[in-house]
Amino acid sequence: MRGSLDRWNPRTPLAAALFLVAASYAGPAPWSAPAALAVALGVAAATGIGRRVATLVLAVAVPTAVLLLVMHLHAPSPGASIVRPGAVGLDRAAVLDALGVAIPLAAAVGALGWIVAGVAPRRLTRALAERGLPAWAAYVLVASLEAVPEARRRAREVLDAQRCRGLGVGGGPLSRVRALISLAGPLVVSLVTESEERALALDARGFEPGGRRTALTPVPDRRGERTARAALWLATALILAWRLVAAWRGGGGGGGGA
Amino acid sequence: MPASRHPPTLALALVPRAVALNLALGAIAGALKLPVYLDSVGTILVAALVGPWAAVVTGIASNTVLGLLSNPQLLAFIPVTIVIGLLAGAAARVGAFRSLGAAAAAGVVIGVAAALTSVPILIALFGGVTPSGTGIVTVALRTVLGLSLERAAEIASLSTDVLDKPLSCVIVALVLARLPRHLAARLQAPGART
Repeated sequence: MRGSLDRWNPRTPLAAALFLVAASYAGPAPWSAPAALAVALGVAAATGIGRRVATLVLAVAVPTAVLLLVMHLHAPSPGASIVRPGAVGLDRAAVLDALGVAIPLAAAVGALGWIVAGVAPRRLTRALAERGLPAWAAYVLVASLEAVPEARRRAREVLDAQRCRGLGVGGGPLSRVRALISLAGPLVVSLVTESEERALALDARGFEPGGRRTALTPVPDRRGERTARAALWLATALILAWRLVAAWRGGGGGGGGA
Repeated sequence: MPASRHPPTLALALVPRAVALNLALGAIAGALKLPVYLDSVGTILVAALVGPWAAVVTGIASNTVLGLLSNPQLLAFIPVTIVIGLLAGAAARVGAFRSLGAAAAAGVVIGVAAALTSVPILIALFGGVTPSGTGIVTVALRTVLGLSLERAAEIASLSTDVLDKPLSCVIVALVLARLPRHLAARLQAPGART
């Protein structure tokens, strides 16, 4: 279930996601990153992918924030501790520091989560190919996307097959490394050999690496979306330029992120 | 692709298989509970079979595809895969994959470079830690030994990468020795034994 984002031209959510990534890390502090996070989660919820995007955000941002907080637990500033579990404490600066990393990170993951959860990768590749992505790059992306589930299946099969033949996969690190080499050998050789068959198939079909792909079903690109994308690219460029100028002047501009 | 304008089809067909290999070996290493990622074996293999630019494409494709499918934070580490691809390509050119010792030594160099490339990204985007084994090591080094964040992140990344990349390079050297000769010849593999 990809939600309603997949009805757009994939380049539009991509441009919007990259704008939010730029805003969360290079926009003015302290509001740009929380605002970007709110937009990322709001759009995800409105387009029916809220749960998946929220899971992605929580899986990255919460453990990162927890690790950063744990890192500060050992050295509380005297009198400034706001949390004191036993002998250790946590001061306000540590909490702000952890949030200063976790919120931009959450915003960036949430925005890119639109693409992960809301856009079919093949459709994105097709849209990019229509925009001029060379055939070889489109092939690499699409074939790699297709190879991922196949690779997961193959890894399970190799592991099961070698276990059936009595290969021990437990014990100390050295015996596990030995097991790994026994497992890796057949897998790598079979994948390399298979690529020769793929190459022959490509040659037989007259594949031209530098050519442009012809789309059987072109990805629709409405005028409103084209205008929105132009505005998003301009806004992204302006945020990055503002950040560079602020850094050059030495003021730092109060970046939203790290 | 500087050598020729476009990659030959065999090299092109190899890249998605290498992306799959990066993922599959990572999964196998996880299943064996080994403290290594092995998610660069495909990239290093392509460097040895085709050359550095194809390896760079493999590394970028690996992180892009896995970033798009499941874990967007991998997109931030694309520069690390570029460094791995370029250095593995250079190692192949000097014949580092023709013996296991040389492959392991090349792996140490690649591991150090990969760790040093990943640390600024870790610090700038993730505050020095990612939710992984390396992140936990960073926290442990900082809290127990009182090291600075940069130094703790550096040591944690180095400790993982100097195990991971030599093992990856040794696996590639072993595979190259078992590769059908006609395939290595067709690819004009710079790293294969002759």
